[in-house]
Amino acid sequence: MPSKVTKLDRLRIERLVWMLDQRLYDLPRKSRIAKRREVRANLLEASADHGAREALRRIGTSGTLAREYRGAEFGDSPRHSWIAATYFATLVPLLLNFVLSEAANAYAQALGAAHAAPGTFTWSGIGYLQSPLTFTVDPGGITHSGGAWTPAVYAGWLAGTIACGRLWRLLPTPSGRRQTPATES
Amino acid sequence: MTTSHDPQLLKGVLSLLLLHLLAEQESYGYEVAQRLQAAGFADVLEGTVYPALTRLEREGRLATRLVPSPSGPARKYYRLTPAGRDALKAANAAWARHVASVQAVLARPLPATSEKGP
Repeated sequence: MPSKVTKLDRLRIERLVWMLDQRLYDLPRKSRIAKRREVRANLLEASADHGAREALRRIGTSGTLAREYRGAEFGDSPRHSWIAATYFATLVPLLLNFVLSEAANAYAQALGAAHAAPGTFTWSGIGYLQSPLTFTVDPGGITHSGGAWTPAVYAGWLAGTIACGRLWRLLPTPSGRRQTPATES
Repeated sequence: MTTSHDPQLLKGVLSLLLLHLLAEQESYGYEVAQRLQAAGFADVLEGTVYPALTRLEREGRLATRLVPSPSGPARKYYRLTPAGRDALKAANAAWARHVASVQAVLARPLPATSEKGP
């Protein structure tokens, strides 16, 4: 029975379309936009026929639909995710630099609070994460240098990026591994 | 009549059904799902049909075009390509062989069952 699509129905449809779009970021932009438009058009028509609730039920969750679309676009084998790798590679340095910067500021403030005599002070930094920092106290204020990431941090950053994005799946698979015999002779 | 179908079996024949429906008539996603449901596949949901159409399109078996709709956004119509017609013929033949093989096994008489085991 045809029913009128209300503004609330449109909002519910837009919510699903938006959530689907968020999960399709690994697809090429043109393909993602095409899917967004197609799903929206089909949902609007289905809502007019059966109501938004039934239309949304029949299309399933955005997660399942996105997984099906990704499978349709790239195949069913496990895939890498550039978006996950990018998130990790971008956010971890921001967070780590924030923590290291706060730690250095805390040390500088401690020197200031202790009325340290002019000169240089060395802090070994946060273990395994950074090189030693040198603080210079003079009448103009406290400055510091050093505190770079250690090689272990760079290695961890790289390993984390690969793990988050499952980038080892980019490596070519030996042709024999995918062939599973249907029957045993 | 609408009865539920084995999802695994449906998954295997969904491409064949879609190719056949689109060989009959060019359609857009929602219309294809409606036609499938009208044919008795009421448990085939739209969320299964749309990605399956995308898969067939990626495989070069379907071509698409956008057609303005009087009732809303433009509709994406799917039609078979020559490769799609070849795939439909091959899938039809494979399905016929499959049905014949299954029928041949099912047609064998079963031994009389006894109440007690050996």
